[in-house]
Amino acid sequence: MEIFCLEDFKVEFEKLSSKKSYNSLEQDIIDYFFNKSFQQLCSGTRLNNSEKTPYIKKRLKGRGRFRFYFLLILKNESIYLMFVHPKTGPMGAENITDESKAYLYKKILECIKSDDLYQLELDETAKKLIFKKAVSANS
Amino acid sequence: MECLSHKSEIENTFSSVRMFSFTEKKSPLLDEDKVNSFLDTILDFKNSLNEKSGKINHINERIEKLTWLNDLDEECLMLTNDLISSAKDLHSSLIRQYVSVNYIRKKGIAKDEIKDFKNSIDELKEAYEDLESVFFFLPKIPDFVETTKQLSLV
Repeated sequence: MEIFCLEDFKVEFEKLSSKKSYNSLEQDIIDYFFNKSFQQLCSGTRLNNSEKTPYIKKRLKGRGRFRFYFLLILKNESIYLMFVHPKTGPMGAENITDESKAYLYKKILECIKSDDLYQLELDETAKKLIFKKAVSANS
Repeated sequence: MECLSHKSEIENTFSSVRMFSFTEKKSPLLDEDKVNSFLDTILDFKNSLNEKSGKINHINERIEKLTWLNDLDEECLMLTNDLISSAKDLHSSLIRQYVSVNYIRKKGIAKDEIKDFKNSIDELKEAYEDLESVFFFLPKIPDFVETTKQLSLV
């Protein structure tokens, strides 16, 4: 599966990773999302009643108890990370509202259509994330 | 006369100290049996909390899995609504239990277990709120429904 993300996700990732309380975030993303099949990622709360393009909220255990919002597209074999927030610690937050969920959902569709995305890859050590401006996520 | 009374007072005090010292030497304050019984009680308390947290986490996962069911009919939606009400009721009871044990955490006892218990209760709330969003609130947001339609064409 190829992994993409919204700019919102990248911004949030950079903000959180710079805090000591959330320095496990990068490894959490690598462990949970990389080298996984579509089926393996179909867990958590499905928000949109769709089998082929499930919009998922996933609770991860661990220090920050991160909440990830992402979309899977079976046909494209792609993961689209939309938002992340911690539940605990200095930047811990409650659930996002239904309106925010709908906003992110609409935004990811627009960004997929316009290829306004970042692609996530691993560096040579496989321990660091690299965000590359996506050229064509839809192809 | 006064001297005799002083002597008697000293002797009495000496006798008390001597007895006390002897008794204490034989029976130290931290009696091993009593300490073990105290630690066993804490251990039982921790185990019962862990067991309860595990049960709540299991319920949370089952609620989450319901969001993967497709196209629920009216009867299923009504059952889901009842489930949400029941989960809210369970949450209230568990929060009351948490409040009643939280003073123990403040004394430094079973800190991790009580924290895990609270996290599982918070996640129960999150799980039934998400379930309610998925089946009752998000499908009423026109933009959300439209995006699902358009995504099926991507």
